[in-house]
Amino acid sequence: MTRWVGAPLPRKEDARLLGGRGLYVDDVARPGLLHAAMLRSPHAHARIVAIDAAAAARRPGVHAVLTGADAAAVSRPIRPLIPTPVPLPDWCLAVDRVRYAGEAVAAVAAVDRATAEDALEQIRVEYEPLPAVVDPEAALRADSPLLYPELGTNVLWHDVFEYGDVAGAFARADGVLGERFGIQRYASTPLETFGAIAEHDAGLDTYTFWTNDQRPGLTLAILADSLGVPQSRLRLVTPDVGGAFGNKRRPAYLLVCALLARRAARPVKYLEDRLENLAALMHACNGVMDLELAYRADGTVLALRVRDVADEGKNLVSPTQHNLIKLGNIVNGYGIAAVSYEAYSVLTTKCPSGANRGIGKPFMCFAVERAMALLARRLGLDPAELRLRNYVGTGQMPYTTPPGAQYDSGDYAATLRRALDRFDYPAAREAQARARREGRLLGIGIATSVEPAGTNLAAYELVTGRRAASGSAEAAMVRVEPDGRVRASLGDPASGQGYETVVAQIVADELGVTPDDVHVERGFDSATTPWLYLSGNYSNKFSVTDVGAVLGAARAVRDKIRRIAAHRLEASAEDIELVDAVARVRGAPGRGVAMREIARTAYADVLGLPPGEPPGLEARHAYQNALAQPVGADRTVRSQLVFSNAAHCCLVEIDPRTGQVKIVRHVVVHDCGRELNPRLVEGMVHGSTVHGMGAALLEEFRYDADGQLLSATFMDYLKPTALDVPDIEVDRLEHPSPFTPLGAKGVGEGGAIPAPAAVANAVEDALAAYDVTVRSLPITPEQLWRWLVASKEAR
Amino acid sequence: MLNMRLVRPARLVDINAVPGLADIRARDDGGLALGALTRHTALVTSRLVHEHAPLLAAAARHVGHRAIRNRGTLGGSLAHADPAAELPAALLALDARVVVAGPSGPRQIALDDFVLGALTTALAADEIVTEIDVPPVRRAGWGFAEVARRAGDFALTGVAAVLHGNRGRCTAARLVAFGADERPVRLSAAEDALIGGARAEESAAVAALDCRPPADVHASAEYRRHLVSVLTARVIGEALARLA
Amino acid sequence: MIDVTVRMSVNGRGVERTVSPRRSLADFLREDLGLTGTHVGCEHGVCGACTVLVDDQTARSCLIFAAQLHDARVVTVEGLTPPEGLSALQAAFRDCHALQCGFCTPGMLAAAHELLAENADPTRDEIRDAIAGNLCMCTGYVNIVRAIELAARRLGASAAAVGAQGGAAPAPPRRE
Repeated sequence: MTRWVGAPLPRKEDARLLGGRGLYVDDVARPGLLHAAMLRSPHAHARIVAIDAAAAARRPGVHAVLTGADAAAVSRPIRPLIPTPVPLPDWCLAVDRVRYAGEAVAAVAAVDRATAEDALEQIRVEYEPLPAVVDPEAALRADSPLLYPELGTNVLWHDVFEYGDVAGAFARADGVLGERFGIQRYASTPLETFGAIAEHDAGLDTYTFWTNDQRPGLTLAILADSLGVPQSRLRLVTPDVGGAFGNKRRPAYLLVCALLARRAARPVKYLEDRLENLAALMHACNGVMDLELAYRADGTVLALRVRDVADEGKNLVSPTQHNLIKLGNIVNGYGIAAVSYEAYSVLTTKCPSGANRGIGKPFMCFAVERAMALLARRLGLDPAELRLRNYVGTGQMPYTTPPGAQYDSGDYAATLRRALDRFDYPAAREAQARARREGRLLGIGIATSVEPAGTNLAAYELVTGRRAASGSAEAAMVRVEPDGRVRASLGDPASGQGYETVVAQIVADELGVTPDDVHVERGFDSATTPWLYLSGNYSNKFSVTDVGAVLGAARAVRDKIRRIAAHRLEASAEDIELVDAVARVRGAPGRGVAMREIARTAYADVLGLPPGEPPGLEARHAYQNALAQPVGADRTVRSQLVFSNAAHCCLVEIDPRTGQVKIVRHVVVHDCGRELNPRLVEGMVHGSTVHGMGAALLEEFRYDADGQLLSATFMDYLKPTALDVPDIEVDRLEHPSPFTPLGAKGVGEGGAIPAPAAVANAVEDALAAYDVTVRSLPITPEQLWRWLVASKEAR
Repeated sequence: MLNMRLVRPARLVDINAVPGLADIRARDDGGLALGALTRHTALVTSRLVHEHAPLLAAAARHVGHRAIRNRGTLGGSLAHADPAAELPAALLALDARVVVAGPSGPRQIALDDFVLGALTTALAADEIVTEIDVPPVRRAGWGFAEVARRAGDFALTGVAAVLHGNRGRCTAARLVAFGADERPVRLSAAEDALIGGARAEESAAVAALDCRPPADVHASAEYRRHLVSVLTARVIGEALARLA
Repeated sequence: MIDVTVRMSVNGRGVERTVSPRRSLADFLREDLGLTGTHVGCEHGVCGACTVLVDDQTARSCLIFAAQLHDARVVTVEGLTPPEGLSALQAAFRDCHALQCGFCTPGMLAAAHELLAENADPTRDEIRDAIAGNLCMCTGYVNIVRAIELAARRLGASAAAVGAQGGAAPAPPRRE
């Protein structure tokens, strides 16, 4: 019985956020709060010969100074996710060596940020510059300078996976299409930068952190480990978060705040400024992919061979994820039976890579969908038709890809057909032909993709050879308060997704109340929220695990209410239903007990409880999605768990004189299973698609040969504005997942994954007469102009 | 620039309160006198500017976004002298003069002599810009076009045009490119070609001869040179259409 | 640096503070007045999150010194919010799901407020132009544009219903 789940309710969060009454980390007030600033390396790669911070420490208003050497003396290195053959200690500030321009080497806590920044100027650092390592392919070479000489290589991980008869398929094929694609560094750059406050209570020897970190479970483990403090003495609170998209994580900054706070005996806040955010927080990996498709003359793709180099920058905290997480879905939505995948995870002297909306899948989709477009051209097939010939069919669901991902539900062909319909594809082709006759360049791009949700951390066993963290899980709490009102909390701190609303919808249905009756705690508080190491806001996991945790807790409370009511009404618990905040006997609506009365019994009049029933009306529930399983003997694994899908159709017009691209129309049809709140789903599809458009046309963290970041401000790192993107037209199909608690699937990445490919395909289509191949992004006006010039010269 | 600690003045004087510096006046000779504190928004919305120097209104429309135009001033744009800024180029096309004031009194400087290079002007350390005088423009056609990565960004390159003539024939031309050199630059070769009777496309083809464009993360010098030609053709077309 | 005393009206209330001359308006509002609804997203004038109204016009509070605003009238998101409930513009944002994380929202509201004060019936292109200086990383702008359209429609309808004096222009509430 779902009255509220599925309803397009406006959000509970909005009234406070619209009135400027949110509480973001920068808004958290603490008595005696100090402000930290960090001194950052101007060099991409250098040995730190000496640091003298004495003058900074003497400045008025300065309360504490911390250098890398200080940090190394009083804390332990941050535990790496992937153990390396030799230990590569990575402290919260650089010690001995810096490995990217912008890496922090010292920090100051002062009465205000400006005073702290003044003090930074008094810190003298002597560097001995070392050669930068910028290009990942060059980093692979034996003669490359090394970030970690003790490792003997810049390669953190290299492996080859083969599933099915790849050699046979290539031998049997009518043709092979091979191409090299590249992806640039970019990031979702949430409008709120990363920040944290740390407070040390010397009396209790406890630490409290307020932060917008999106993986509190993992971060708490790192904090305890590096500070050498039991987790029982740590508390982490996440208030409102101003967007995250995977980017909001940097345990090192929390450690710096904690160490400064201990030194200064006052709470310390550090909030990145935008330049620090762009240069030093995290970028999606740039990379190079060599891709080969073996195909039959009718367009059937028989096998896929991929060599995928992921440029991690200086990332020891979460490397290999860009490789691992695209392995399972490297075939995209196609029934390709044989796959070879060679992975390189490579260190360079650039900003650490990290999670970013879709992790790796935008590149997967760009490469595969570009290849499909090229194959259609080669075979003279319509690009839509070629895709329809290769999709995993509805009859094959659930379908296991050669590397082991399970596509649970969906109708990929119907999704594309709906998109073509909404786009009015035949009319668009006619308009394109007319425009060409007038000398105008219109292009139509199609891209479709799967969109995974839920990460099974067991997949890292493929890298490490042993199991550490594994599975996919989350925890939640539901409590009916003594006055009968409902409170809920979740181990996954939202960053704009509207969980307060959706959790209230789910709980309201279970307890027979309205969402207005359910107060959902903002964010996360490790002291009160149930949580796991796996807890956090990542991997599209809400539908896969969080819903299960909330349902489990709500149902436990519901069942207890029914037992108490049954006892009071002398009925059977199975006959009790919860309607309008009353527990009543089914079929006899007059016989009921108000929820408020049941709560009073549970907390106050406990002698009125059924025999053996413990007092209270609260449940905590941790839910593990059973799809997550260990790595199989054949090296297959469900690294991600359920799969939404989307089809994008994009229309662009190119100014042939200037090379400027205008996205005229963009249609998205998506299927994320059951939509818990369609209004929120549609909003995320819009935003996610625009992230992809930014990657396609505007955004790039560009480095020069010395490892200096050239696009280091929002004037040079170009985010799409309202004038750069069209109204995104959205439609949907709804094939519920059989494997999630309410049939919902991931939403939020299905725009960002296919949009770059759709725009690129449209641009290439517009240039059909010029024989241009789009191999990399972003497509800048100058790049486009150069293609046109080269094409004209070639004739 | 202050926020990034790129400039660190020992003293900063706010001249916003100086009376009269934000006035826009029609001069007796039919020209326009613009106070140094004239906001970009005022250039966009002022009836006087639209009547006397519509080119300036069009150029101001391209400066940043609304909140920036509300605070940014004409005098500030001139004194800052960013090579990619729209307004100094538009003023050069309009043959404007800059009035500056200092301890030794006011003096007038032709726009071409005022902007000396990238972020460099003829302004002495003890002087401020007080007024910009735009001479009367009679029976002229104008055009303005730029290419930026996004609307509101500094232009990669742009061109402003003021053309005089009759029956589609150009007798005098001021073509100015910005983002194409260290400072706004007259496209003399293209002007001469145009006056000599060449068509728009032919004149535009030689436009880049007068430019030494910079290269940066957004565009190479070569591409900027190409844009100068494209945009010159465009603004000549616009200006001739207005002339007719 | 010698501190300066500045007096201005903020959300209709007179305030006087002695501040460092390098205090930005954004920091002044947030740190000295506790008005944390104004958010700081880039501190170089590009993202628009910190946009407030100065003498009825939008301005980047990260690019102005508090000391420059002696005698000015400043309105922040707190001042655009009625004591109870939401303004018509805010309600339209809620009804159209025009915000997700909410960090850009106060600046967006300021930009939209300025637009609607000048143009009661803006086109979609005019709306996009008016908010192009405000970055939003969540919504793709689609629903923000819809919300401003809806607000214009509702305000126009209410103006038509109550006549010219009906307070249709979304003027900030004055609390003097």
